[in-house]
Amino acid sequence: MSTPTRPPTTRPTPYREMEESIDLSAQLQHVPAVGGAEQELLTLNMGPHHPATHGVLRLLVTLEGEVVRDLKPIIGYVHTGIEKTAEDKSYWKVIPIVERMDYLAYYFNAMAFCGATETLLGLEVPKRAQYLRVLHLELNRIMSHLVWLGTSALDLGAISMFWYCFRERETILDIFEMSSGQRMHTRYIQVGGVIDDIPAGFEEKVRAFCAVMPERIEQYGDLLNKNEIVLRRLRNVCPLDEATLLELGVTGPLLRAAGNPWDLRKAMPYSSYEDFDFQIPVGTVGDNYDRYVVRLAEMKESVKIVEQALDGLPEGPFITEDRKVALPPRHELATSMEALIHHFKLVTEGFRVPPGEVYYPIEGPRGELGCFVRSDGSSKPARVHMRDPSFVNLQATAPMVRDAYIADLIATLAMLDPILGGIDR
Amino acid sequence: MPWNPGDDVISVQRGPRPGGAGGAYRAFGETLRGLKTTFARVLEGPITIQYPEEKVPVYPRFRGRHRLHRFEDTGLEKCVGCSLCAAACPADCIRVVAAENTPELRVSAGERYAAVYEINLSRCIFCGYCEVACPFDAITMGNDYEMSDYNRSDLIFTKEMLLAEPFDRAPLRAEGE
Ligand code: SF4
Ligand code: SF4
Repeated sequence: MSTPTRPPTTRPTPYREMEESIDLSAQLQHVPAVGGAEQELLTLNMGPHHPATHGVLRLLVTLEGEVVRDLKPIIGYVHTGIEKTAEDKSYWKVIPIVERMDYLAYYFNAMAFCGATETLLGLEVPKRAQYLRVLHLELNRIMSHLVWLGTSALDLGAISMFWYCFRERETILDIFEMSSGQRMHTRYIQVGGVIDDIPAGFEEKVRAFCAVMPERIEQYGDLLNKNEIVLRRLRNVCPLDEATLLELGVTGPLLRAAGNPWDLRKAMPYSSYEDFDFQIPVGTVGDNYDRYVVRLAEMKESVKIVEQALDGLPEGPFITEDRKVALPPRHELATSMEALIHHFKLVTEGFRVPPGEVYYPIEGPRGELGCFVRSDGSSKPARVHMRDPSFVNLQATAPMVRDAYIADLIATLAMLDPILGGIDR
Repeated sequence: MPWNPGDDVISVQRGPRPGGAGGAYRAFGETLRGLKTTFARVLEGPITIQYPEEKVPVYPRFRGRHRLHRFEDTGLEKCVGCSLCAAACPADCIRVVAAENTPELRVSAGERYAAVYEINLSRCIFCGYCEVACPFDAITMGNDYEMSDYNRSDLIFTKEMLLAEPFDRAPLRAEGE
């Protein structure tokens, strides 16, 4: 292409001619004709504001007709800088902030961070606190899966599922409000234990929930499991084998759907998970249908764990009695000068954590949620990093949906369950 | 596999292959079964709460809009302007300027009082750390959850607004209910 010469000033610039003189045919990718019709690759921008992307995820989709040939997720639209903010706050003030990363797994975020900090401190968490943590973590898992199920079914066109799931979710959020004072971002889990013991009437509420929930899960299954539309939309759609998933670092229900029973609650028990009797549901093929039933079965297992946590709830303190780390009980403030001094010190400066670094992985609702904390010996973390499962799992989208229909892309994305707050952090 | 989970694994049941004669049956049979599930829910009655008219009562631990308190007998403010709440706030949204009590102007029970006490509710994340931090129970999280406003500047609550009796719009559940 020759450089266009500057036209005489009297004439207007011949844009039209210049445009037409450029030959673009070499850059257009021609693909072999399907069914006699010429097909061209079309690059389509989906999102960031698209109801089916479950957040502000932007997808750059290369389509050939209706078939997805390539896909590129573009993230960063809800970047919050939480990891950086955490470096500026003392340890106990980081908890309400990291909770806001993956906004459907706030107990998990807090648990991963507190677990990492406790490991650095070498702190022993009382048994009762561990059980209370498990209780809330599993309720949180059910809650997160309910949101997933409701919105995913909505993507497949089943709107009543959405109402049913949110009805049960409401019950769980009520339980959260009862024990911690907030429906979301509860900051219930603290370094060394939990902020407060469960109130009177809490156990009955959770028991009532555990009594109805298995039946509700059956009802979800009745509606969806053998529904012809669901089968056609999910069964054998976008499978991905175990080896590829492992290579991509995918964990959680997605990996278990492909037949690998990797579950950190069993493989590397934390917070007394070894005391609980539950099973790991695994799938076989790793298609969308498996991803769906595995999560449904996980909810049932979580209900079992919640019941066991209530049954076996040990007596004892709900937070460590180490006054260097945990705030003294309120009634001591009025009577004990020492308690008041500890209180002042903890609130203004926070506790110091010995230098070192630690990675603390737990099993979140979407997979391995790990928290890396590096301490330089001061009362603020030098670095906080979360290995968020949604972020890693998102890589698997492209291999899953390659050569599938664009409608199946929506279903696969729903079954992938990415939470953008966790991805962008 | 480096790790053997033993008997703790259950295989989930896969659905039938779609299409074919089974598919033709399912298109009617399973749909009817699903409809049965749906219609059975009608008997359970609606659970919708007609929100602005009908409000969900909050639990005693609920963390709503903050309140500052006075001593009931003397009417003096409990807050002594120690700024511990401001130090505890992860969102840095509390501003306290303390001043000395004088015999002519006694505002609080302590030596000093908060001359300025502001909470920027548009920054607040309702974590409740201020309540935890205050050693004198001067600030607590109230029950009010209806705080929307048209201007951001109207969301900066001053000491007078926080001390005032709220309209008491949010109903409270009894302990253990
Ligand atoms: S609730 Fe939390 S964010 Fe709000 S003012 Fe109190 S400490 Fe600050
Ligand atoms: S509210 Fe409490 S913590 Fe805050 S300045 Fe007043 S007395 Fe101190």
